[in-house]
Amino acid sequence: MRAKLFADVFIIEAKRTMSYRADFWINVIGGLLSGIAIPYFMWSWIFQAEGGGDDTLLIGGRTFGQMIAYYIACALISKVVRGSDLPLSISSDIYEGGLNRYLLYPTRYLPFKYAQQLGAMVPNLVQMVGFGVIFFFALGLPAGVEITATTVAMTAASLLVANLLYFLLTYPLQLISFWADNVWSLIILLRFVTSLLGGAMLPLEMFPAVWRDVLPYTPFPTLFYLPVQTLLGEVSIVAWGQGLLIGLAWCVGIGLCGALVWRRGELRYTGVGI
Amino acid sequence: MKRYLRLYLHFLRFSFSRAMEFRVDFFFRIVMDCAFYVTNLAFFHILFQHIGGLGGFGIDEVYVFVAGYLFADAVHMTLFSNNTWWLPFLINKGDLDYYLIRPVSTLFFVSLRDFAANSFLNLIIAAGILFWAMLRHPADLAASSIAVHIALLLVGVFITWNLHMWFILPVFWLHTSTGLRQLFFALEVFSERPHKIYRGVVGKLLLSILPLACVISVPTYILFEGASWELVVPLAVATPMVFLVTLVIWNRGLKAYASASS
Repeated sequence: MRAKLFADVFIIEAKRTMSYRADFWINVIGGLLSGIAIPYFMWSWIFQAEGGGDDTLLIGGRTFGQMIAYYIACALISKVVRGSDLPLSISSDIYEGGLNRYLLYPTRYLPFKYAQQLGAMVPNLVQMVGFGVIFFFALGLPAGVEITATTVAMTAASLLVANLLYFLLTYPLQLISFWADNVWSLIILLRFVTSLLGGAMLPLEMFPAVWRDVLPYTPFPTLFYLPVQTLLGEVSIVAWGQGLLIGLAWCVGIGLCGALVWRRGELRYTGVGI
Repeated sequence: MKRYLRLYLHFLRFSFSRAMEFRVDFFFRIVMDCAFYVTNLAFFHILFQHIGGLGGFGIDEVYVFVAGYLFADAVHMTLFSNNTWWLPFLINKGDLDYYLIRPVSTLFFVSLRDFAANSFLNLIIAAGILFWAMLRHPADLAASSIAVHIALLLVGVFITWNLHMWFILPVFWLHTSTGLRQLFFALEVFSERPHKIYRGVVGKLLLSILPLACVISVPTYILFEGASWELVVPLAVATPMVFLVTLVIWNRGLKAYASASS
């Protein structure tokens, strides 16, 4: 796919999603309420109960301030990684026969959809930057958290890999629409699994030792844990590079798997909707 | 009443036969809900490796609490979720007409006609997890307490359905409910933690105007701490009030309904 076409699709999709302003603000409020307020109440209760107001108390290796910073970063970053509800558009294309037009376009389907996914991510990106600045710079960073130009640049690279990986993880699941009528459940299932194993529900240091040994070799930490830790300045350049390489390796593996499923599914596609 | 019961049995029959036509989806839904159960149990299991309690609950009480919301969620998914999902489409496309002309309560019909047979299997699994959590609890929980707890969880499901409707019914005026539905799902997560962790205004709101604390948290505190006034009063007031508000919004919405042009 040519870079110009990729950029055009990206811009059109970004404009389209940014035009739904009411949804944008409701999404902001909802995301902040569940993603930040609930962990705030939960951890403030826990730190109060465990330490009685001791500011140096560590749980899972973090102070209260560091824990809240982790959840704020995670709430903002996870939206960018997951993108919008667009992933389900692939299964709709297959199920409703809309794939026909993409087969006629003089371009490949997967990069086209990925350009759309990136464009649809723009509102989340605006939220992340805007609220990130408010939370971390206007309200102040807790002791032990360092956000520098370097960590921001490293986070941007991690986010690109994480977003691509999440898209590629959903891709073969959606292609199951060639055989099944509804794959919505599989996408939600992926969301549950990645939330837990990717560190969106709990920082991965809190997991039992066996899990901590295995998880770095899975695709999950690349999704949320690595970008969050990178932003908060808690990852060395070597560990960050290793994390990215593992993430990219998974992108290649899952991408190949998706290509295989596509090839098999395409043979079954009738073009009239199921 | 008998007529409604007979009608509901027909709903069940249709729902099961339809679910059997989409067997792969049936299977996927079961796997998805099992993943939901495992991630929630794992979250609290891992959390309790580092802490001693949450909202006054120890690990044994928290397992009962989590199992309670898995059970309540499964009941809600089975009875209401498909119906609440389709309701905005019925209103926007004017398909509500077909239900308005039937000689039964329209609210009853559109709220209960689609029984999610695939979620019903998950309900059995969730009930199993709830009984496992109660059986492993070191205190001997009396059968009567367990029965009251389950009854209160069902009341909690009723409250959830009402709150969900509050966020869907504005579709009569707004013609879209996507944003509000997302907001409800975000707010609903507040019910998935013991309500005593919420301090100040938020804690009070969750026991009054938006009584999400009454869904699982209050029934679980009643089970372990007994029925005190500060637990029973919000539950007793919230249950009829939320339904009354739903009825008011529904009736006003029907007046604003203009069939296919809605």
